[in-house]
Amino acid sequence: MSRTVIEVSDVSMRFRMNSDKIMSLKEFVTTAVRGKLQYQEFTALDHVSFEVKKGETLGLIGRNGAGKSTMLKIISGILKPTEGSVVCRGNVVPMLELGSGFDFDLTGRENIFLNGAILGYNEKFLNAKYDEIVEFSELGQFIEAPIRNYSSGMLARLAFSVATVVNPEILIVDEILSVGDAQFQEKSRRRMLELMGGGTTVLFVSHSIDQIREMCSRVVWLERGEIKMYGEAAEVCEAYEHQ
Amino acid sequence: MISLQKNSKVTESLQIVQRLAAILFLGYAALIVLFYFLAGEQLHLRESRGNMELPAADSGTVELVFDSAVEQIFTMEIQRLEQIDVQWGTYYRPNAGTVLLELVDLRSGNELLSAAFDAAAITEGGLTTLTAEKPIEGLHKVPLLLRITSPDCQPGSAVSPLMNTQGELEGGALMLNGEPSTGVLCFAVRGTDYIWTGLHYWEFAAAGAFLLLAGLGIVSLRLRQGKRSYVVNAVIAVQKYRFLIRQLISRDFKTKYKRSVLGMFWSFLNPLLTMIVQYFVFSTIFKTGIPNYPAYLLIGIVTFNFFTEASGMALSSIVGNAGLITKVYMPKYIYPLTRVMSSVVNLGISLIPLVIVSLVTGVQFKKSAVLSLFFLCCVIIFSLGVGLLLSAAMVFFRDTQFLWGVLSMIWMYITPIFYPESILSENFRFILRVNPLYHFLKNTRLCILDGISPEPAVYVQCALMALGALVVGALVFRKSQDRFVLYL
Repeated sequence: MSRTVIEVSDVSMRFRMNSDKIMSLKEFVTTAVRGKLQYQEFTALDHVSFEVKKGETLGLIGRNGAGKSTMLKIISGILKPTEGSVVCRGNVVPMLELGSGFDFDLTGRENIFLNGAILGYNEKFLNAKYDEIVEFSELGQFIEAPIRNYSSGMLARLAFSVATVVNPEILIVDEILSVGDAQFQEKSRRRMLELMGGGTTVLFVSHSIDQIREMCSRVVWLERGEIKMYGEAAEVCEAYEHQ
Repeated sequence: MISLQKNSKVTESLQIVQRLAAILFLGYAALIVLFYFLAGEQLHLRESRGNMELPAADSGTVELVFDSAVEQIFTMEIQRLEQIDVQWGTYYRPNAGTVLLELVDLRSGNELLSAAFDAAAITEGGLTTLTAEKPIEGLHKVPLLLRITSPDCQPGSAVSPLMNTQGELEGGALMLNGEPSTGVLCFAVRGTDYIWTGLHYWEFAAAGAFLLLAGLGIVSLRLRQGKRSYVVNAVIAVQKYRFLIRQLISRDFKTKYKRSVLGMFWSFLNPLLTMIVQYFVFSTIFKTGIPNYPAYLLIGIVTFNFFTEASGMALSSIVGNAGLITKVYMPKYIYPLTRVMSSVVNLGISLIPLVIVSLVTGVQFKKSAVLSLFFLCCVIIFSLGVGLLLSAAMVFFRDTQFLWGVLSMIWMYITPIFYPESILSENFRFILRVNPLYHFLKNTRLCILDGISPEPAVYVQCALMALGALVVGALVFRKSQDRFVLYL
């Protein structure tokens, strides 16, 4: 029953970078006329292939700029790869940056619906799960206040609660386990493990090798856009730590 | 397992498409019937293109006494003759007696129309009108004679029909007291023509229904075969993202007036205040002479405000949501679409003062007022097209917003919002003709203020302009959307 849910085949991502970003028509025309329109190619990912089976938790590790976030963005559909293709079977809930869909003038309640809609939940589901979200976020009466008055911890708690209320088929997580106080961090870690136990396929990026080791079954180690190592979590983490 | 899931997906989308097809078809039928009744007479008849205008008078003909006659032979290209006007001179003195106007069909010699007028009631440069009780048909390109006589006028107190001595009528001749003369009598002929499409309205409606059914049939057949056409994808996307679209619209709307005291009342008040200011400026400083100027002005303001608001909001929709676009995936057209739709909500609210002002200033709403919604829909679709184009352009060149500021100002001045279109001289009329907003606005006003519907071809013309803008905008947007993320 372990079918492949994410298939990354031969994906390359190249960005064209101008020496300085041209943002206006005048600049574009003047530089083009002078023949100085040069692009520097920057390869963020170079022919990367791997696949994730259902229920698996795959960790992505690597140094800053290794291409981890680009990879996640390609899988969640935000970026289109220059070459190669990604196939996802099932609904993808990306948790790349929590609360990116929040509007600071709206109340917590309104933001739950707005952010839920952005994450692709439907109305019936949100109405049914509303109480659960509020309870998990521990916001209580503040849920009716505009979120511009929230502390950053409160924001993070709300965002995490909305994002994880669903049982997605594919969950994409980028460094979000460090939200709130120690108590909430523990709670969110439990929630993540619960989700993984429920058959959700998880793609997980973290700089904390301990977290990766604890949560992931397999790990991809990226370096400068290429796969340096791909295998069992313990093995890859070991190698990564002793490089 | 995979194929099973795929099958269930096909059935699900098939159901959605079938339901939508049923709604679409019933909606089409309802609209066709509704339009038939709302458009009324204008569906079949239009002001004839063969109408003959009054020539400028530069001379009198003869003093019309009891034994004199002024005769004008002419042909016309009007299908249904309704009335003939004759212009008179009085020698600037009080006159007395009776004048007689007759219209004769020269083929058979039958008298078609005749009427007598009191010469004492005729003023200098005034008109007498020969009106047909029922429009006379079958006179297209038939030689006709307009005879003007008097049974009893005396020299010294008789009137005289005016003429233009330079004028010439093709196939026409002017005879004064039986003598052929150069020039043309000052007369005007008016009537209506049948509209070919209007006469075949139900045939067109049936053909449209057939095309619609055929299109839907092809789409569902392709779907059954497991192929997804572009149409189906769009439908499913709208279905899937309906809740999100609604949330985003309500977000736009809630945050717009969030911390203002009057809140959404501003949507109501804004066009009204603009109208009042412009009304005082233009009705006192520049005399305009447009009947029911407040309503005329308000229709222009509401329509154009919607256009600038919707396109301006759509312009910044991609750039302004950069934070979201680089973090979460959703179809990118949703951003400009929701901005335009929240402007539509605003438009809906600003229609309330429009209706109130119209009622207060004495506009009589006829059934054709409903048809103005068609032209408002055209404005909405047009704005969406422009908005898509602008939002895509804005990503690559931030200059777009400043350019658009200037452009939309120019656009405002070349659209007759607060001035009548007649102040533009003939040389500049072409600007109006190529301006889609002018057509939408003109016909909205026609439906509301004049209470008549434009002729059928105008609907097609307006729909094509609106859809054309949408197609261009959507294509540019679709082509460039994958590169948005790289430039944000």
